[in-house]
Amino acid sequence: MQSTRPIIEATNIRKHFRTPVVKEGRFSGIRTLFSKEYLTKEAVKGVNFTIHQGDFIGYIGPNGAGKSTTIKMLTGILHPTSGEVLINGVNPHKERRSVVKKLGVVFGQRSQLWWDLPVKDSYDILAHMYKVDPKDATKRLGELSELLDLHEFWMTPVRKLSLGQRMRADLAASMLHDPDILFLDEPTIGLDVTAKRNIRTFLKTLNKDFGKTILLTTHDMDDIEQLCERVMVINHGELSYDGTIQQLRNKIGLPTLFRVTFNGEFKVPVDDHCQLPVTLPLSITETIRIMEISDQSINIEANRQELKAMDILRYMSHWGEIVDIHMEEPLFEDIIHRVY
Amino acid sequence: MQYKLNFTLASILAALIQIAEFLMIAIVLYKFGDIKGWSLYEVGYLFGVMTLSKTIYRTLASDVHHLENYLVNGELDQLLTRPVPILLALMSQNFRLMFGEVLQGGFILCWAMNGMIHSGQVTWIAIPYTLFSIGTGAIVLFSIGLATATVGFWITRISELQTLTEDASHAAARYPLVLYPTWLQSILLVIIPVGLVNYIPALFILRGQWGVWVLFGITAAALFCLACSLRFWKFGLTKYQSTGS
Repeated sequence: MQSTRPIIEATNIRKHFRTPVVKEGRFSGIRTLFSKEYLTKEAVKGVNFTIHQGDFIGYIGPNGAGKSTTIKMLTGILHPTSGEVLINGVNPHKERRSVVKKLGVVFGQRSQLWWDLPVKDSYDILAHMYKVDPKDATKRLGELSELLDLHEFWMTPVRKLSLGQRMRADLAASMLHDPDILFLDEPTIGLDVTAKRNIRTFLKTLNKDFGKTILLTTHDMDDIEQLCERVMVINHGELSYDGTIQQLRNKIGLPTLFRVTFNGEFKVPVDDHCQLPVTLPLSITETIRIMEISDQSINIEANRQELKAMDILRYMSHWGEIVDIHMEEPLFEDIIHRVY
Repeated sequence: MQYKLNFTLASILAALIQIAEFLMIAIVLYKFGDIKGWSLYEVGYLFGVMTLSKTIYRTLASDVHHLENYLVNGELDQLLTRPVPILLALMSQNFRLMFGEVLQGGFILCWAMNGMIHSGQVTWIAIPYTLFSIGTGAIVLFSIGLATATVGFWITRISELQTLTEDASHAAARYPLVLYPTWLQSILLVIIPVGLVNYIPALFILRGQWGVWVLFGITAAALFCLACSLRFWKFGLTKYQSTGS
């Protein structure tokens, strides 16, 4: 799946923000103005990664972890305090114009379209700005319009669009010049379930059918789980994880919940009066935790990296006659919560 | 142009306000005859050239003057993701015709030059010289405005600084610089070179000091200012901090 050509390379990028320390007391304004004291905030502290062509990457982290700052450095908006970014082998800070020609950028929080103009006019301006051939532009808009249902608000001014419509319009705008790489900063923020699903389908098509490289930040773990092959987690300005989702699950190893219902009498090999939850060793390394015992059923937790589900059931079948089992995988959100 | 009433009102009001400003000077001059040897026509000339140069600068680069808004909202982000030069993109954001200022500046300038041509102080050759000076003046004012705006990359809020380098200095240069103490004259000629917009050209065009080379000198100085502020702007862009989201 992974092709070998690196398309985005970040080498030890850092970004410090300096803000003057605001003085207190008399003449605070003037004293702040002449003060040499600065508070340095290290938003990003030496991040390294390589992204290959055709990758779909989720870039996640809690608020204020440095996600947006990283994206802004990759897209040439912010200059890193130190370190280097290469997009297709070119530094976006030295040759911004030639690099951004190949980038599509969407900031979910803020529209890049012209507020007072109909959607269509915005596309005309963008096509002109990126010097897209009118024929290509028309063709591409046709395709995008089909994928994103743009025609329903084609002539509506951007300020009258709903959030979902605006996001679709913004996505189309970022694709108009056929960029190789898409940077999406929270593209699903504030959208309803249907709108989110539409956008996910669209992004999947772009990645799978058109081979676009996509880097996505989001707080919606479903986005990540459904779209991304690889996740990078940033926290306090440092990458704390970089790998596939499955590896992340394995690494964190949260337990799976089993709810087993018995037919009639069953006997659990623990004291009747002991405090639940209780840990029950099956062998030297393998344990299960009994969470809850009721008249008919019993809830246990077990880590499936250590124990196979069938083994657990085989073991539990000694307790009574099993009629039903229900399993709940750990939520991806809980896993991410652990990484943060 | 979408808002016609707004445009008409703004133009008329701007013209009235500026004319009222000039009337104040005119009344003083009428009473005393001249200011340190500068006649009413000559002061009107300084006033008109400054207004027209400033109008060109503010018409073409309105949003350079309003860069603060972009810095505070982080709106510069969008412009930075486009494959066009930032400065051009910024200048094309809010093109606005300042009709009132053109009307008022043009009126005072025509009146002053007409008076001086009739009295024989200048000849018709002063007209192309003056138009040329208005052009170089616009370059100088643009450079000052751009450099001031660039400081915003470090301090974000620049309106106070702009009051000093743009509003106050423009107002000061509407009067002959001989009025001011030497240190202030030097500042207005070297550090914030608004004197290059109207005062120095006027010394040559109206009073025949030096020779035509002065105009070339001013052009060279204006281009030098422009080059410096463009470099400063480039450097400032690398210090852009954006906003949190």
